[in-house]
Amino acid sequence: MTGITFEGVSKRFGNVSAVDALDLEIGAGEFVSILGPSGCGKTTLLRMVAGLEQPSEGSISIGGSVVNDLPPSKRDIALVFQTYALYPHMTVAGNIEYPLKKHRVPKTERAERVRRVATLLKLEELMQRKPRQLSGGQQQRVALGRALVRDPAVFLLDEPLSNLDAKLRAHMRAELIQLHRRIGRTMMYVTHDQLEAMTMSERIAVIRDGRLQQFAPPEEVYARPSNDFVAGFIGTPSMNFMTGRLAGAGAERVFQSGDLNLSIGALALTDESAGNDDERLVRIGIRPEDIVLDDAGERARVMVVEPTGHEAIVVFDYRGNDVVARMGADSGLRPDDVVKVALRIDRMHVFAESDGRRLNDDRD
Amino acid sequence: MATPRKPLWRRVLFNVLAWTVVLLIALPLLWMILTSLKPQTELFVIPPTIFPGEVTLEHYRRLLAETPFLTYLENSLWLAGATTLVVIVIATLGAHSLVRFSYPGRERLARLVLFTYLLPSVVLIIPLYFLMIRVGLVNTLASLVIAYTTFALPYALWLLRSFMAAIPEDLEAAALVDGATRMQAFVDVILPQAVPGIISTAIFTSILAWNEYLYALVLVNSDEVRPLTTGVMNMLITSFNIEWSLLMAASVMMSVPLIVIFVFLQRFLTRGFGAGAVKG
Amino acid sequence: MTESGERIAARARPTLETRYGILGALLIAPTVLVFSAVIVYPLVSATYLSVFAIYTPTMEGEWVGLDNYARLLGSGEFWRSLVNNIIWTAGTLTLQLLFGILVALMLHQNLVFRSLARSLVLFPYFLSTVVAVLVWRWLFNDLYGVLNHLLMWARIIDMPVDWLGSMPNAMISLIFIGAWKYFPFVVIAVLARLQSIPDELYEAATIDGAGAFARFMDVTLPQLKEVLVVIVLLRTIWDFKEFDLIYLLTGGGPIIATQTLPLMVYKEAFALNRMGGASAVAVLMMLIMLVFMTLYLRKVRD
Repeated sequence: MTGITFEGVSKRFGNVSAVDALDLEIGAGEFVSILGPSGCGKTTLLRMVAGLEQPSEGSISIGGSVVNDLPPSKRDIALVFQTYALYPHMTVAGNIEYPLKKHRVPKTERAERVRRVATLLKLEELMQRKPRQLSGGQQQRVALGRALVRDPAVFLLDEPLSNLDAKLRAHMRAELIQLHRRIGRTMMYVTHDQLEAMTMSERIAVIRDGRLQQFAPPEEVYARPSNDFVAGFIGTPSMNFMTGRLAGAGAERVFQSGDLNLSIGALALTDESAGNDDERLVRIGIRPEDIVLDDAGERARVMVVEPTGHEAIVVFDYRGNDVVARMGADSGLRPDDVVKVALRIDRMHVFAESDGRRLNDDRD
Repeated sequence: MATPRKPLWRRVLFNVLAWTVVLLIALPLLWMILTSLKPQTELFVIPPTIFPGEVTLEHYRRLLAETPFLTYLENSLWLAGATTLVVIVIATLGAHSLVRFSYPGRERLARLVLFTYLLPSVVLIIPLYFLMIRVGLVNTLASLVIAYTTFALPYALWLLRSFMAAIPEDLEAAALVDGATRMQAFVDVILPQAVPGIISTAIFTSILAWNEYLYALVLVNSDEVRPLTTGVMNMLITSFNIEWSLLMAASVMMSVPLIVIFVFLQRFLTRGFGAGAVKG
Repeated sequence: MTESGERIAARARPTLETRYGILGALLIAPTVLVFSAVIVYPLVSATYLSVFAIYTPTMEGEWVGLDNYARLLGSGEFWRSLVNNIIWTAGTLTLQLLFGILVALMLHQNLVFRSLARSLVLFPYFLSTVVAVLVWRWLFNDLYGVLNHLLMWARIIDMPVDWLGSMPNAMISLIFIGAWKYFPFVVIAVLARLQSIPDELYEAATIDGAGAFARFMDVTLPQLKEVLVVIVLLRTIWDFKEFDLIYLLTGGGPIIATQTLPLMVYKEAFALNRMGGASAVAVLMMLIMLVFMTLYLRKVRD
């Protein structure tokens, strides 16, 4: 059982910095997602752990030992590629057997291990087929099988579900979670899909432009995002933002934006006495489910209603801001209705406009 | 196409015209085959006949029995085979290096490959001749294999490079992660994927070696070692009467491998064309 | 990776990357060796030998400085060969382009037995030059060659023509045979490009009222421009340095009427036994080609 540690890791391609002074510690046996938009450096991170790229600076350790100079074959890792990378000229059986051959596992043991993996992933019928004769989902299972058969200390998965259709993806998510529970190995899962990260991981590392934004369990990343980028990236439909100014302090604190004056004294903020009024530009964030119909609220006009079956996504014109809210399926709202809408202050997030950092005081 | 179907007569006219053009282009080759099958007497009739009055294999028999043709053929086969083998081995390793490794000077090397396309072989032949004399290899098949390798390698490298660049890089990465060394990954995964490209390149190289004239002319001057190209031309120059019938039969036989390739392996040929520039 | 990027990374680069780099260099080493033999050695050699007078069979000689160059540049033969070279190259290139584009357009249509037609059209390019020469010399034979007979039968000429032994016939025949042999290269390159032009462009032009000729000029030709630039460069260089075809068809004759620079190199080296002189011609030839390439690429860049 080994974990993965990044210490001061940077990676530059020419003049472009893909990863910037990253420190991260993944515990032994942990399932961690590396989450971020395309091009944020997450795949580069994965490839550095695998040994397919070398860090420009810093060190990477697996199970406590630094692996910077070890070739991929000596790192006790397995990698499931986004493109599956199955060997086209070998059968399914051949593909799964290949890693064992390379590690000089004796023939009888090889056959047994391959058989076990095939049974586990329900590939028995497909063993003699070539990859091009398999569906996307089947290919994915073979890629998984090839990774599993060696029983390595660390599993690396590079957006393995992104080429599958939605239904299959949901099914495979569940399978992967069960798999992790079963084998208990460290898993580093790279994805741009925040739903995948949220449902599968024990902790999520959110990356942007090669820098770590937050590393915490899903609930925390959702409820207490460390900056506005994380807040906006996690959650669908995404968080609503409004830029404005804070005035007053303590219980009299008010958020002003345009002609909106929102009393947010109930919200505890760090940085209470920081700066004068001119510098207290903030962005407030409120999630769609934290917007409710309330007679004591502000007037808002319904602009769009999108029924999804079990609920309705409603876009309001809230004091000149477009806000997206989750309403019940039976809300009865229609475009151009004017209703009273309130934001749940206790669930509001406040971020500094200058650097996006979270200003809420979350101590209890 | 969304354009309206052309009237039948226009299509027929086009086909007739087009095929006339094609046959005109192929005329020399057709004439070559026809001549080789005509009996000697028919050859020198004025006006000449188009189709042989009677088909004869007399010239082929004479060619094989009474001239050094078979020796030349054997030499050419050896040459083409050896050159192709050497070139493929060097070029496959080299192409792999150019595509999947990085080291200083790599790009410059790739551009150098292009540059060698442009050097005249007359220039290259002089120092090569010099070298062969020094090393004592003049008039041997070995000297030709070396010479052909030097000029066939740039083309083979260029072709193989584009074929191998098309192999997804994830495949090699997967093999490395699975426990292979870089050379093991090359043999287990890259080579099998490169086979169609290697076949195309091998065919191209064989054709280049089979058709090469100048190097053979300069480096070899005895019948035992001559390949078909210089051998057959030699038959032309040294005889008092130019035996056109024999020459046409020889021409047909020299072209047989090409015909075989065209009939059975054409797709490898055109794929090679598409993969990069080709020797002129 | 840019040069500076490589240097920045090199300071912090761990040894695994270096080990890979070494393996890569090893794999390309045989190629580099061969290339040194193909490029470096001949270029250096030719330049070096050109300042000596060397007797070919023994390869012994003495320093003569720039005498070889002086003799050549002062001789009518060098300039005549250069002019011949230019005439040959320009002539055959023009025909290659003309035939090549026309036949490519033809093969692009729906033709019955199209792949057979394509094979037959490609054949001359892959045929051995020796075979091509033998066949054409037989066709051109003054007494028994079928070409003369066909033309006389069609009343186009009334005496057999000496196609290869007199001027201007020899140069014209050469240009024509060269075009026959090499135009398939143009066909393949152009055909590949034609097949990638989307039909919609032609449909739009038709709707706008363009006839066949206008469609060719306004849609096809602009799309072909890039390919043609490359084809012209490659074929010019390859035609310029052509040896086999000319040597075997006319030997440079009558006298030196069709002698080109490559033939002159060969003649100096192996007929006149002047290896130093041959090297000088070779160097001059390469300089001319270099100048052409530079001018051409510069013109094309705009």
